[in-house]
Amino acid sequence: MSTATAPRAGIAPRKATAYRVTFARVVHSEWHKFRTLRSTWITLIGSSVAILGVGLTMGATYEAGGGDSDVDTVLMLLFGFQLAQLMIAVLGVLVTAGEYSTGMVRSSLTAVPTRTPVLWAKAAVFGVVTFVSTLVTVLLTFPLAQLFLTGSDKEMALTDPGVLGTLVAASAGLALLGLIALGLGAVLRSVPGGIGGFIGLVLIVPVILDMLPYTAVQDAVRYFPAKSLESLTMLHPTPDAYPSTGAALLALALWAVAALGAGSLLLKRRDV
Amino acid sequence: MIRANGLTKKYGDKTVVDDLSFEVKPGTVTGFLGPNGAGKSTTMRMLLGLDAPTRGTATLGGRAYAGHTAPLTEVGALLEARSVHPGRSARNHLISLALTHGIPGSRVDHVLDLAGITEVAGKRVKGFSLGMGQRLGIAAALLGDPATVILDEPVNGLDPEGVLWIRNLLKSLAAQGRTVLVSSHLMSEMALTADHLVIIGRGKLLADTTVDSFVREAGAGAVKVVTPSATELAALLAGPSVTVTSESPGTLDVRGTDAEQIGRTAAAHGIPLYELTPRAASLEQAFMDLTRDSVEYNTTVISETSVKGHAA
Repeated sequence: MSTATAPRAGIAPRKATAYRVTFARVVHSEWHKFRTLRSTWITLIGSSVAILGVGLTMGATYEAGGGDSDVDTVLMLLFGFQLAQLMIAVLGVLVTAGEYSTGMVRSSLTAVPTRTPVLWAKAAVFGVVTFVSTLVTVLLTFPLAQLFLTGSDKEMALTDPGVLGTLVAASAGLALLGLIALGLGAVLRSVPGGIGGFIGLVLIVPVILDMLPYTAVQDAVRYFPAKSLESLTMLHPTPDAYPSTGAALLALALWAVAALGAGSLLLKRRDV
Repeated sequence: MIRANGLTKKYGDKTVVDDLSFEVKPGTVTGFLGPNGAGKSTTMRMLLGLDAPTRGTATLGGRAYAGHTAPLTEVGALLEARSVHPGRSARNHLISLALTHGIPGSRVDHVLDLAGITEVAGKRVKGFSLGMGQRLGIAAALLGDPATVILDEPVNGLDPEGVLWIRNLLKSLAAQGRTVLVSSHLMSEMALTADHLVIIGRGKLLADTTVDSFVREAGAGAVKVVTPSATELAALLAGPSVTVTSESPGTLDVRGTDAEQIGRTAAAHGIPLYELTPRAASLEQAFMDLTRDSVEYNTTVISETSVKGHAA
């Protein structure tokens, strides 16, 4: 149709091949979006401060023969994870659900109308950043807290067998837990809903289930996210109560994939 | 080129857009008009693939929106609802969109400049006025130098200078050969900007016409008659092509005949006339007449029911 093509000539010649959406570019865009919001840094720094602060306090206040003496050394010094997991979960929910509460999602999906790459790019950026940030934090927390423990029965070096591996696994576990929250945020599309859903489903429901008098249920609850993460912060997870490190990582990864998969499926189908 | 083929959107059993088909051609500004709730925004969201149509299809530049490898270079859109994270600065918002396509930062600076918001580009969007928000939305729409521009109520919240800027911008975009679809609920605004009109009401197509012919048809003017014997005169004027309505006692609105004819009829029957005024064609009136039956929230005008010709 001549009328359709002729006037286009009036537009400055465009580099048809230069501009196109690629997954790497969507990741770059999501990284830019992630780092240009204050809430990102507030929650990330909050999480690190919680881990470091609680870890140092635990180290400084430790008394041999006291209440903590039979607690796993790494678990004790990473006790701040209890607080940090909430902040990382809030950040995860904000990354996805925050786009709906602000309307930003309409811009995001207009730029990337195939939709799902946006969610996977968000997950990649969030996962890598929270993992690295947590790892750096625990690599500082452990040796610093150990300064208080020289000569005690909890004295341990980063280079002792299993310590580094536990710290890496714990950091990966926290990042995976955050990805579950990110997926929940994508499913529920509401910040309060996502945070409430995370606290309810991930933190409270397993505690209730654990109280039920069925061994099968109690066995299953070990593989729930919070319990798996707790296991990852232990140098020697007690076999009866906790999954092994490998099983815990696998369980957390499966939960994260399930949450992200549900989010991705709904993202593809629902109106915005 | 935008093509809508039988677009239909239902929410439950409420049909918001009903079998809507139209074409928007490049090189002209097409006004997308309808009263509030007519389905304009929903139609635009379907064009952009944000809402999936219940039935029907829409293509832009020959393809569904999601089928383009660089959608921002094909279509630039300003949606009615705000689509920006308020915690991010205007520049960072645009950069994050540009990065998805590999659009360089120089283009971001260019559209910031074009929209006149360079000075506030580093500020968080949170503090933006409605008008500045609209300008940022338009900057985002132009980011990819798109062949098609879709703007939903772009003059909302703009000051008179901003309105004038939009008008000129739309015309220049069309003059560059782009396809321009712009929605509004104000006929007067569209009459100044648009060449072509697509008018919808309750999700249905009411008119697909040029502004010129719409004006011409609206020009089949009415005559205002003020007389103490309104009912009597109405009965005398009645004919197959004449409609007489009354908005207040003693005042008639006569269509289908002219002032001379009405004057002669009145004189022949000794009916006094206090006023006999041919009404200039009002676009707004013609638009309201067209969409009267399809206004979602009808404010009932307290008036006498229309005086039909056969009233005794």
